[in-house]
Amino acid sequence: MENRDVLKNELEKIPWFQALKPEHLEKMTDMAHLRRVKAGELLFREGDREDFVYIVLKGRIALDIFIPHRGKVRIYTVEPLDVFGWSSVTPVSHQRTAGASAVVDSLIIGIDSEKLRDECEKDHDFGYVVMLRLLKIVSSRLLVSRLQLLDMFESPEA
Amino acid sequence: MTTTATPIQNDISNPGILLRPKWAEVTEITPEADGIATYWLRFINSSDQQEFHFNPGQFNMLYLPGFGEAAISISSDPQDHEKLGHTIRFVGNVTRAVSRLKVGDVVGLRGPFGSCWPMSELEGKDVFIACGGIGLPPLRPAIYKIMRNREKYGKVTLLYGARTSSDLMFPREYEVWRKAQIDVEVTVDRGDANWSGRVGVVPMWFYHFRIDPRKTAVLTCGPEIMIRFVIFEAMARRVPVESIYVSLERNMKCGQGSCGHCQMGPYFICREGPVFRFDELQSFFNVEEF
Amino acid sequence: MQNETLPEIGSTITIEKSTMNEILLRLKQNGFLTIGPRIENETLIYGAIENLEDLPRGYTTEQKPGYFRLFRDRHSRYFDIIPGAQSWKQFLFPSCVELFSLRRITNSWEFAPRAVETPKFAFIGVRACELAAIQIQDAIFMREDFTDPIYQARRAHTFIISVNCTHPADTCFCLSMECGPQVRQGFDLNISELDNVFALTIGSELGRKLMAGLSFDDASGYVLASVDQKIGNARRQMKRNLNTQDLPELILENLDHPYWNEIGKRCLSCTNCTQVCPTCFCWNVTDESSLDGKSTCRERVWDSCFNPDYSYQAGGNTRPTIYSRYRQWASHKLGTWKQQFGTLGCTGCGRCITWCPAEIDITEEINNLGNEVKR
Repeated sequence: MENRDVLKNELEKIPWFQALKPEHLEKMTDMAHLRRVKAGELLFREGDREDFVYIVLKGRIALDIFIPHRGKVRIYTVEPLDVFGWSSVTPVSHQRTAGASAVVDSLIIGIDSEKLRDECEKDHDFGYVVMLRLLKIVSSRLLVSRLQLLDMFESPEA
Repeated sequence: MTTTATPIQNDISNPGILLRPKWAEVTEITPEADGIATYWLRFINSSDQQEFHFNPGQFNMLYLPGFGEAAISISSDPQDHEKLGHTIRFVGNVTRAVSRLKVGDVVGLRGPFGSCWPMSELEGKDVFIACGGIGLPPLRPAIYKIMRNREKYGKVTLLYGARTSSDLMFPREYEVWRKAQIDVEVTVDRGDANWSGRVGVVPMWFYHFRIDPRKTAVLTCGPEIMIRFVIFEAMARRVPVESIYVSLERNMKCGQGSCGHCQMGPYFICREGPVFRFDELQSFFNVEEF
Repeated sequence: MQNETLPEIGSTITIEKSTMNEILLRLKQNGFLTIGPRIENETLIYGAIENLEDLPRGYTTEQKPGYFRLFRDRHSRYFDIIPGAQSWKQFLFPSCVELFSLRRITNSWEFAPRAVETPKFAFIGVRACELAAIQIQDAIFMREDFTDPIYQARRAHTFIISVNCTHPADTCFCLSMECGPQVRQGFDLNISELDNVFALTIGSELGRKLMAGLSFDDASGYVLASVDQKIGNARRQMKRNLNTQDLPELILENLDHPYWNEIGKRCLSCTNCTQVCPTCFCWNVTDESSLDGKSTCRERVWDSCFNPDYSYQAGGNTRPTIYSRYRQWASHKLGTWKQQFGTLGCTGCGRCITWCPAEIDITEEINNLGNEVKR
């Protein structure tokens, strides 16, 4: 079990958490836990129930989608300070849309999605900071998806 | 009738021959990725070899008799006067014919043409190279130049992306570059279970680096769509447009600002380009189909 | 009467029209290929002329957007036609010219020897707009950083007899472009045709020496006034106008304007405008190979920014749609050309209007763009 101070200390290092008021940081700490994952370790599978949103502190987490006859396609890697599993915070999703596993030994923070959602609902000031951040992540992820979709390196006459 | 007019003197003694190439032999072929290879060339005439000098970012017109010419950027070390590398993707009429060449075959060369990466202006600065796909070959001479004069440059970063891991150019060299204190970061559009590197696209990784806009120059080359977002990310980090350099590609036939094909606005890309400082292009860079 | 002295450069003399035959003969004796407007296959072309009788005397052309008619008029003047599709460009910048030939030797190539004879041209009847076009092409092909050997070899010897334009066509707008109707400079001899005589202005030493021993008089005040009057009439007759004030700025600041799409809907991308244009300079280069692959001939041919292939590169076509090609053409002629070569790329000759099968009139379209922008 991780020490709460260590956890809080790690949270404070994340730039966007610095925008949180002290009491909000406390709330966040209550919902979060540190987790170490070994290279190759599976965090969740596509279709799993969503429970946590994650922030990478160290290492690299891969998001894969399994395509029949093609196997696992790695669609995105999450580097330190980036977020994954963010759709678990939205009210509509209930299943993981991609699988996640550690590419190298990694340290991540998991935040209880349900608690986070409830807290945002109860305290809109807190919720605003969180949602603004999620919006930023989603828009960046959309851009990446678009550029991948465009297949910009495709050989024109292939 | 007193006199006839004075005969007209012919004052053009040697009119020269337009587009006349020099001949070079293929000395080595290095496959780089699927449909891409580096052709190492050596001029047949040794004085041509000695006289040939180029700056990083410049290109040659490579001629295959019967097929035509293609503009190919030079991808080798500008200090190496023994051989000249052209990294070629087989996509057009000429380059597909190139793919059938063997060691010992002869091709025509004209060049070098065009502008170059501003290597001396970059001295004392941090250099952030963001490129994708076959946008790396035109930047490799700049990397060599930096390596040979590493102390003259600040922090040097290469952020490079390709479609898949097997499309990455020059993977064997990344370690050499890293040893020369160049931070090489590689990303692919799509990975597989064996790929342990990054998956994403070049522009999104900007967030991962600390870029000091006051002393960083950004060099970019690759698909135009990637270039657009690289510039977007650089500008979002307040890198001034005067510190962003772009290498562009257009259809080229002459290399001398004459045939007209490569025009983009007021520029002949073969002459004023291919390397531009972004403020020179900014007013029309996002105009569709311009 | 025969003159002992030669006329001064810059002076204007009068000659009998028939004296022009002697001038043409002298040019030929000096090795010039004398070329002028003539009628062949019932249309107006530029071709070899022997004497005045080869010129389209008494003819006039009627030109409108997408319309060209040649007809016999009641006058008896030699130079009253406004040119057709051809321009002098075809002589200085030939539409197809061999660059070199190669022969295969084992696994290499060698240049096949060849003798290139560059003709010496004397252009007879070059209008102000056409002379301006030649000067525009001079700036393109004979730059400090690049000289086109083919163009230069031809241009260096070219002798020019220009002519003041006195009956502009409906499609003409040289006045807007400040290129005519009066010839200003760059000629060896310049003709102003009156009903009975030619007033001839001497433009070069060579032009001056050609007059040795020929009959001429100093142009009288009456002749000079008549010439001025005719040019003045021509100016007044020219109805078509292109507003050139801040033209490059108008175009380059409105590259995204939807009006380009409107023009693009009408344009067929047929390339006619670029082929008849006397300033369009784009070229392509092709290999003409023997079937056994043992020899190839490299040729330079005219190209056009309206050709789909023109902007093709690995990765696709930079300008896949017609509107963008029209915009490229117009924004180059009337915009970026100025940055590249110091002048606009249009002389107001009107050929692109006459020969457009869709009757697109660049003056109207650009004026419309200006009005749309102001709205």
